[in-house]
Amino acid sequence: MDAVASERAALAERLPEALTRSASPDGSPAPILQFDRVSKWYGPVIGLNEVSFHLEPGITGLVGPNGAGKSTLMKLATGQLRPSLGVVTVLGKSAWSAEAKWHVGYCPESDVFYEEMSGRDFVRAIARLSGFGAQEAAQRAERALELVGMSDQAHRCVRGYSKGMRQRIKLAQALVHDPELLILDEPMNGIDPVVRRDLHRLFFDLAEQGKSLLISSHQLEELERLTDRVMVVARGRLLAQGTVTEIRDMFENQPLTVRIGCDRPRELAGALLRLPEVLGVELGAGGMVTVRARQPQRFYRAFGQLVLEENLDVTHLETTDCSTQAILEYVLQESL
Amino acid sequence: MSYNGLRMALIELEQIGRRFGNHVALRDVTLRLEPGRIGLLGPNGAGKSTLLKILMGLLKPSEGQGRLMDVDIRTGGIRLRRLIGYMSEADALVPGLRGAEYVALAGQLYGMPRGEAHRRAHEVLTYLGLEEARYRRLEEYSTGMKQRLKLAQALVHDPPLLFLDEPTSGLDPAGRDAMLRLLLTLGRDHGKSFILSTHLLNDVERVCETVVILYRGRVIEQGRTEELRTSRYDRYRLQIEGRLGGLIDDLRAEGVQVLTATRGRRAVPLGAEVDVELGDNGRASLAELVVLVPQDWRTRLFFTLADNRGVVIRGLQRDDEDLEQIFHRKIQETGTREAAGHGTH
Amino acid sequence: MGRINLLGYRPWQGTLHGAWMTPWPVSRVALGMVFRRKLFWLLYALGLFHFLVYFGGIYLFYQIDIPSLAGSNPQVIRFWTDTVRAIQEQLYMAGTKETYRNFIWLQGYVVMAVLALAGAILIGNDYQYGSLPFYLSKPLNRWHYLAGKFLAVALFVNMLTTLPALILFAECSLMEGWNYIENRAELLVGILGYGAVLSVCLGLLVLAVASWVRKTVPLIMVWVGILFFGRAVADSLVDGLGLDARWRLVDMWNNMYLLGSWCLDVAPQLEAGRRFITRPQPEAWEAAVVVAAVCGLCLLYLDRRIRAVEIVR
Repeated sequence: MDAVASERAALAERLPEALTRSASPDGSPAPILQFDRVSKWYGPVIGLNEVSFHLEPGITGLVGPNGAGKSTLMKLATGQLRPSLGVVTVLGKSAWSAEAKWHVGYCPESDVFYEEMSGRDFVRAIARLSGFGAQEAAQRAERALELVGMSDQAHRCVRGYSKGMRQRIKLAQALVHDPELLILDEPMNGIDPVVRRDLHRLFFDLAEQGKSLLISSHQLEELERLTDRVMVVARGRLLAQGTVTEIRDMFENQPLTVRIGCDRPRELAGALLRLPEVLGVELGAGGMVTVRARQPQRFYRAFGQLVLEENLDVTHLETTDCSTQAILEYVLQESL
Repeated sequence: MSYNGLRMALIELEQIGRRFGNHVALRDVTLRLEPGRIGLLGPNGAGKSTLLKILMGLLKPSEGQGRLMDVDIRTGGIRLRRLIGYMSEADALVPGLRGAEYVALAGQLYGMPRGEAHRRAHEVLTYLGLEEARYRRLEEYSTGMKQRLKLAQALVHDPPLLFLDEPTSGLDPAGRDAMLRLLLTLGRDHGKSFILSTHLLNDVERVCETVVILYRGRVIEQGRTEELRTSRYDRYRLQIEGRLGGLIDDLRAEGVQVLTATRGRRAVPLGAEVDVELGDNGRASLAELVVLVPQDWRTRLFFTLADNRGVVIRGLQRDDEDLEQIFHRKIQETGTREAAGHGTH
Repeated sequence: MGRINLLGYRPWQGTLHGAWMTPWPVSRVALGMVFRRKLFWLLYALGLFHFLVYFGGIYLFYQIDIPSLAGSNPQVIRFWTDTVRAIQEQLYMAGTKETYRNFIWLQGYVVMAVLALAGAILIGNDYQYGSLPFYLSKPLNRWHYLAGKFLAVALFVNMLTTLPALILFAECSLMEGWNYIENRAELLVGILGYGAVLSVCLGLLVLAVASWVRKTVPLIMVWVGILFFGRAVADSLVDGLGLDARWRLVDMWNNMYLLGSWCLDVAPQLEAGRRFITRPQPEAWEAAVVVAAVCGLCLLYLDRRIRAVEIVR
C-alpha cells in the first residue's frame, strides 16, 4: 500500500506543478488556455460567437464541420488574431502578448514554407525566431526533428516533400521551443498509418509530460484513438465540451442504441422490456438484440443487474451511437 | 466493351517490377483481384502510386506482365484509361470552367460524343448532389463539392473500374460519411469496381471487401478483410464506468490477464497492485480494459465482479483485430522476416 | 404499365470513340479560357489597328479620285498624287505581294503579346492548377493534349495574320475585279504559307516556353527575351558591328519573315533607318534550317517535359 501512496503523492506533485508555473494574482493556478466570452468577426462575417472555456492538460479534440470556426478559435488561441470581444489568455497572460506566445506551439493546416529551404533549416530558422542562439536553435531543431521522425530526411529541400513529411516538419516547428500548449490544426492530414502511430505515441508522451494539446481533426475515428475529450464547435459557437460519454449522457431526448449479443436473446429481450429506461427492443439476425434506451447511467446499472438475475452470458455489449461521430451529429441536430 | 463482371479477373499481375534508376519502386508484384471494392494500403513510398500508374498504362513495368480487364498493361495505354475513371487526390481542375462544362469535358476526353457528354454530365452531377452548383465556376466550389466533382468526372463515361486516390481528404465528418456511403452504393448496387488508395484505414474498413497491402514495393498481404482478421476468442475489451482499482485485482484473482488498461485513451499504469488513475479529468472518461480470459470463461463473471466493486460495465466486445492492427502486424512481420533474411545471408 | 424512374445512378451505354478526337475538346476549352480574358480582346483590337490602316489605305488607293478632290489647282493635285504614291511606295498598299508580307510582318508585335498571354493561360495554368494530370489521366497521350493546345495557339496566330490578310485580298479583288484573283492567285498560297510557317514555329515555341517557365510573368520575360532581345542582338551584330548577315538568324521573327518573303516571292528588305544603308539578310534556306531546328528542339523538349509520370503522385 505504501507503493500506492507514494505513487499518488508523486502524481499529485507532478500535476499541479504543470499548472502553477504561472499563477494568477489571486493565487489559483491560471489555466493553460482560457477563452472568456470571446467573439471574433471579420467585417460582417462572424467567426466565433461568445465562446468561453478553459482547456485542461492532456489531449483535447476539436471537432466540427467545415467553416464552424475551428480555425478562428485556434488562431485566437495562438494570438494570431485578436478577439473582437472578450479575452483569450494563455497561463493568465493575453494570448496576443509575446510572453504568451512563448508557451504556445502552432501547427497550421496550410503549408507555410519557403520551398527552397531544407526542412532542417526551416525548423532552425523558426527556433532562431523564437529567440534561441544559433547553437541552441540547432540543438533544439535536431531534437524536434527527431521527435517527429524526420532527422534522416531533414536535409532535403521542402519542395520535394510529400504531404506527410510537410506535416511532420510543421509539427517539429511547433515543438521546437518546447511549449506547454500545442495547437495542432489537422496534424494527421496525409500522414500514413505507420508514421501516424509514431505521432500518436509522441502526443501521448507530451500529454504525459503535462502539456496541453488541442487537436482539430475531421477524422473522428483517428481522433478517438488519441482522446475521448472533445470540444464541438459549429456555427461559431462552442456547442459541447467534455468526454464523449459525458456529452452523450446529456442528450436526454436522444435514446441510446445498444447492441447486445447473448446466448438467450429472446429471454433477454423480454427482460429488457421490463426495464423502465428501455424504449424499444428489436431482435436481429444472429441473436443480436438492439435496444433503444434512455438515461444511460441508470440503464447500464440496471442491465448489469439483469444479467446477474437472469443468469445470462453476454458476448457483446456495444453502444453504437456513442462515438465522436454520433456526438457531433446529435449536437448539430439538437442545436438547430 | 462488354465485360462479364463475374467470370473474369479484374486485374491479374504477374511478377511486376518497376525500377527508377537504382531505386526499386515495385518488385515481384503478383496479384489476382476479382471485381469488387478493393482497398490499396501502404505507407508513403510503398509503391502504391507506381502501381496505379502502371495499371493506368502511364508507366511501363520494368519486368513482369499483367492484364486489366483483359487488356495488356504493357501495350494497353489509352485503352486501359478508357476503362478506368480516375479521381486524383490533388485538385485536378481546369480553372475558369463551370461544373457541368468540366464534367462534360472529361466525358469528351474519355471519348464520348459531345452531346452525350453534356447530357451525361448533368445526370451524374445530379446524382452526386451537385445539381445546384452545376453552373458555378470551379473556383467557387468548396472542398466537399470539389471532391464530388472529381468523382463526377471519373464517373461520367460509366467506367467499370474507378481508381480513387484519397477521396475523403479534406472532407468534414458529414462530407466524409456521405462520400463513403456514395462509394459503397456505387460498388454494391451499381456494380462498380474500385481501388481505393488511402491512409485512412477506417475508410477502407467501411467500404472495401478486399485489401491489398503494399510495403517497400511488395505485396505483403492481400485478401478479403474478414479472412485477414484473426479471431481472438479469448480476448475481450471492457468499457468500465467508475474506479478500476479493485476490479483489476479481482479479475486477476479469477485468472484473467489484464493486457492494457486505459482511461480516456491514456494508459493506466498496471505495475504490481498499483492503481493510479488520473484525478481530475479521468472522472468523466470510461476506462477500457483489454483482457485475456482463461478457458471456459463465462462473461457473466465480468458483471458479477463489476457489481461487487460497484462499477458499471458499459461495453463488452471480443477484441478481434481491426484493419489498423492487421496492417501494423503485417508490416512488423515483414520487417522481422526481412531482418532474419539478412541475418542468414 | 406503370413505371417509376428515380433519380438514381443510371448506367450509360454508348461507344467511346478513339483518342484522335480528343484534341478538339482540349482546344475548345483552351480557346474559351483565352476568349474570356478582356486583355485578349484589347490586344486583338490593337492588332486590328494595322489592319484598318491597310484596309483604309487600299481603299484610298483605289477609290481616290484626285481631280474631284482637288479641283483644278495643280499644286493640290500634285500634293494628292504625291500622297497616294507615298502610300503605295512606302507602305506598299497597292495589293501587291509586298502588301501582305509587310502587313503580316507588322502584326508581329501584337502576335507576340497575344501569344505570351495565351501561353500563360493555356499551358502555365495547366501546371499551376493541376489540370495537366486531369488531361493525361484520360485516354489520350501527351501528343493529343499538345495537338489540342497547338490548334488553339495556331488559331490565335492566324486570327491576327492570315485572316486579316485574306480579308485584304478579298478587298483588293472587290476593287479590281475578277482579274485580280486570276492574276494573283499565287498570293493566296503565299499568304497561307506564311501563316502556316508562323503557326507552326510560334505555336511550338510558345508551348515549349510556357511548359518551361509555367508562370505568367517569367513567361513574358522569356518571350520578350527570345523575340525582342533576339532582334536587338541581331541588329547590333549585323548592322552595328558589321558581322556576317547570318548573325541575323538569331532573330526568330526575322527568320519567319524571310520564309514568308520566300513564300510570297518578295525580296526580303528591311526597313532602314536611313535610306542609303542596305541591310544584309541571310538566305531563305538558312532561315528555314534555323526555324526547323528550333521547331525540332521544341518538340524534343515538349516530349520530355509533358510526362504522364507526374499524374499520380
